[in-house]
Amino acid sequence: MLAKDLSEFRNLIQAQGIIFCYSGYITEAVLSGIGEALKQKLYLEDADKTRMRNIFAIFVEQMQNVIRYSAENDAPDDSGDINELRYGILNIGVEDDKFFITCGNKIQRAVVARLSGRLADLQKMTPDELKSLFKEKLRGPTEATSKGAGVGFIEIARRSSEVFDFGFMDIDDRHTFFALKAFI
Amino acid sequence: MDNIKIDGTDRSPEIDFDFANNTFTIRGESYPEDVTAFFGDIIAAFEAHLADMDGGAVEFNFELIDFNSSTAKVLMGLFDTLEEATETGVGVTVDWHYDAEDDTMEELGEEFAEDLEAATFNMKVLEV
Repeated sequence: MLAKDLSEFRNLIQAQGIIFCYSGYITEAVLSGIGEALKQKLYLEDADKTRMRNIFAIFVEQMQNVIRYSAENDAPDDSGDINELRYGILNIGVEDDKFFITCGNKIQRAVVARLSGRLADLQKMTPDELKSLFKEKLRGPTEATSKGAGVGFIEIARRSSEVFDFGFMDIDDRHTFFALKAFI
Repeated sequence: MDNIKIDGTDRSPEIDFDFANNTFTIRGESYPEDVTAFFGDIIAAFEAHLADMDGGAVEFNFELIDFNSSTAKVLMGLFDTLEEATETGVGVTVDWHYDAEDDTMEELGEEFAEDLEAATFNMKVLEV
């Protein structure tokens, strides 16, 4: 059974074109470790440099989004929440000759409407509009005031080769699962 | 002011700030865990140096392979600081080195340069 179960899991992952999969706490140390492995993988794939670095940059922004979000929202009255929010799933794969990076994590339901609106706005923007917004945000106040849709998502939109995809699924009365998929 | 030399790592760039010769270099990759902890003091030291200058000129080299959006925020602040320094009579030259095979770094350099007026900005292909 053991071999069968794991083999089926592997087949499921492979069927979706996933070449790299991580599920667990997303921390800076994990980012460093996976980052090194990803870089080696990308060198082997011989992707061109611009594309390779865009893939890596989007990976970094996705991971740091989860890390910052969970740190910012660690409720003092509920010390377990940071671990809930920090737990994420990261998939990197190939689909129709494009790389994709999906990242999913739990967020607080209270922020869903705002995050959803901002991401939908980013999806509609032209490269020039994204550039203007990027520069505006770089000159604006720091991250703490822009929970959920800071400059990281703009960076993802700018470095993607097509519009990113995102979605939400409510888990309980406090939490929603948030997923974002970028294509390079 | 004492020169600042910091070796680069996988995630943070090499810093070479030579205050005596007014040449400043940031080189490598930059996506540090805590961007403020990494850049805070060195940028403050650079700003203090600029404020103490009476005329003269500085040369700033960016030789970046790649950087994250938090680093971009630091760089934007640095470009604004450099442009402001020209208003107090300091000559500013910025050299943006980029890998010829990497379009993103080239475009980011051009975007930062758009807001420079008095400072001299040069795009240079990085010798890899």
